[in-house]
Amino acid sequence: MSQRLKNIVKAGSLLALASIAFGLGAARADEIVIGASLPLSGPLAGFGSFQQWGYKRAVAEVNKAGGISIGGTKQMVKLIIRDDKTDPNAAASNTETLISRDHVVAMLGSCTPALVNAGALVAERAKKPLVTGCDPLEAFKSVRKWNYVWDLFFDEPELAAAQFKALAELGAQTNKKIAIWHDNGPDGQVVGGKIWPALAKDFGYEVVQNAEFPVDNTQFTSIIGEAKSKGAEVVLVDAITPQAIAIRKQMAAAGFTPKVLNIEKGAEPVQFAEALGKLSDGILVGGYWDSSLPYPGAADLSKAFESETKLTSSQHIADSYAAAQILLDAIASAGSTDPEKINAAIAKTDKTYAVGPVKFDENHTAKLPIVSLQWQGGKTVIIWPKAAKTGEFLFPLP
Amino acid sequence: MPDIGVALSTIVSGVLLGGMLALTALGLSIVLGVMRLVNLAHGDFVVVGAYVGLFFLKFTGVDPLLGLPVIALIVAALAIPLYRFLLAPLAERGPEAQMMTMFAVAIILENAFVLGFSADTRSIERDYATLPLTLGPVTVPLIYVIGFAIAVALILAVHWLISRTRFGRDLRASAADAQAAATLGIDVKRVQMLTFGLGAACAGVGGTLIGAAFQFGPSSGAAYLLNSLAIVVLGGLGNVLGTLFGGVTLGFLQSVGGLTLGDGYRDLVGMALFLLVLAFRPDGFLARRRS
Repeated sequence: MSQRLKNIVKAGSLLALASIAFGLGAARADEIVIGASLPLSGPLAGFGSFQQWGYKRAVAEVNKAGGISIGGTKQMVKLIIRDDKTDPNAAASNTETLISRDHVVAMLGSCTPALVNAGALVAERAKKPLVTGCDPLEAFKSVRKWNYVWDLFFDEPELAAAQFKALAELGAQTNKKIAIWHDNGPDGQVVGGKIWPALAKDFGYEVVQNAEFPVDNTQFTSIIGEAKSKGAEVVLVDAITPQAIAIRKQMAAAGFTPKVLNIEKGAEPVQFAEALGKLSDGILVGGYWDSSLPYPGAADLSKAFESETKLTSSQHIADSYAAAQILLDAIASAGSTDPEKINAAIAKTDKTYAVGPVKFDENHTAKLPIVSLQWQGGKTVIIWPKAAKTGEFLFPLP
Repeated sequence: MPDIGVALSTIVSGVLLGGMLALTALGLSIVLGVMRLVNLAHGDFVVVGAYVGLFFLKFTGVDPLLGLPVIALIVAALAIPLYRFLLAPLAERGPEAQMMTMFAVAIILENAFVLGFSADTRSIERDYATLPLTLGPVTVPLIYVIGFAIAVALILAVHWLISRTRFGRDLRASAADAQAAATLGIDVKRVQMLTFGLGAACAGVGGTLIGAAFQFGPSSGAAYLLNSLAIVVLGGLGNVLGTLFGGVTLGFLQSVGGLTLGDGYRDLVGMALFLLVLAFRPDGFLARRRS
């Protein structure tokens, strides 16, 4: 190889390295860069995969339609997704990276309060708008008064009350003894530690056990044994998916079958039912979306997911899809990539999306209506409220 | 104070589960004893076993418990090249280089699980894994009883292999003094390779049992590594029967911790015990009775 050729190769290599080091994710002048940190691995990966699909679909639709007009020029949208590995520290550092290295103009959120809030605090500090779902509203509001972060999801008191109302209206006959098991995460403590015990009293139930456990707990033998010995016929659980699966298996192995088993959070993704098979039948979970709800594009969204991925859809495709649409609508409405203008446009959102009607209040939250879902044959059906019902209530738990 | 039935069920379940965990720790113990290597990818070998069990059932339709010998062979076959191509070349560079290599392997395996099988939480779905076994006031999961029986049988078999066979003699000689063993004509590298494969096979069997009894995912390995380390320290480094003792002790004490402080504090009790043993009896409770 001649010296000149060697020099060219060296220069090329250096340029390539420099571009990797400094500019891999850099924005081109003719594109709008948005980003998201998502749990694509770790215990919450079940949620992250659905969110990723929802975000990508919304962006793909906008790009297919020619992009967004900024200052009279149509620009394509580039979505950068980074894996936070279900680690709040990684969610925060991913958000830093999206802002400083990828130069995003705005962002979309992760999932669960721990991850969303970790990234949201970084966005807030950097004054970059962030729209998220998957963060229960009380847990979101409790962090701080938000200026640049917006959350559309369910409200914990409403979700917690939904199953009590559903059981009352559906005439579920039990001995009114409740066992509450919840993790010690922010939403677990709010729902399991405060709201459920208060609601149980209001609805005439006796709380015979209230057990808290760390979010990475895997053994529930004594908790289950105690609930069984105290004759609880209603069990309310707030736990993430791996724990939810462990709890159901260990309940069966301990010979404990209450009449009602409600598992919030962990029983949402389809991997819960896939891992448990027929053991998932009859389990209740609060929901905020189903493809049967009368919202524009709801049925198509679910069909598109299932035909593209060959997987059963989840309600998380709806809030993530809507969050991305809200952000993209705001950028279009602002006609600018200036974060302040985008933020002001998000505040004006007042539209019914596939997830339902979205209008943010003064706390930057939009409350999604709640339904009561039940796993039946590997799929969820709406059993309450009556107006939205898509299946019969399977009672007692098989 | 919990009901007597709850207390007995929890303690018996803990002891049985401890036996299963001893099986997952056995591989770590023998590799540590012979190669002086803390295999930081051991927890991921357990997860490999769980995935192999899951896909074995899916593709053959044969119950993974019946296929345990095949699963053990598959996991060993996957592990042996790691020794041959990654660990053996580093043998002269001390245990730290090998340990860091296995740390890297653990990270690679975890990412490979995500890429290959998605990050979903899985479980090996078998009826016997969710059936209770009731004897008087005591109710325990049937899978714990099955797992305990398999673990005890396998641990005794490995003990016999190490104490009564020619391979075991070579293994013990290599563990005591690799250089002296080599001068006596023992192929130490071969012994270490087979030991590494045996350790992985034990982890594979343990992983399949764990996969049926519980749930697992790509990042589950770390928790099993931590439990295994505690069991190995309790039972004595490289002590095969001590591993069973360590597992049962850990299971018993974790159950007592679960009963008195709540299930969320099981690991706290286990790890506190681990530190206490490290501080006051670093060779383990059964240090004098090495296999």
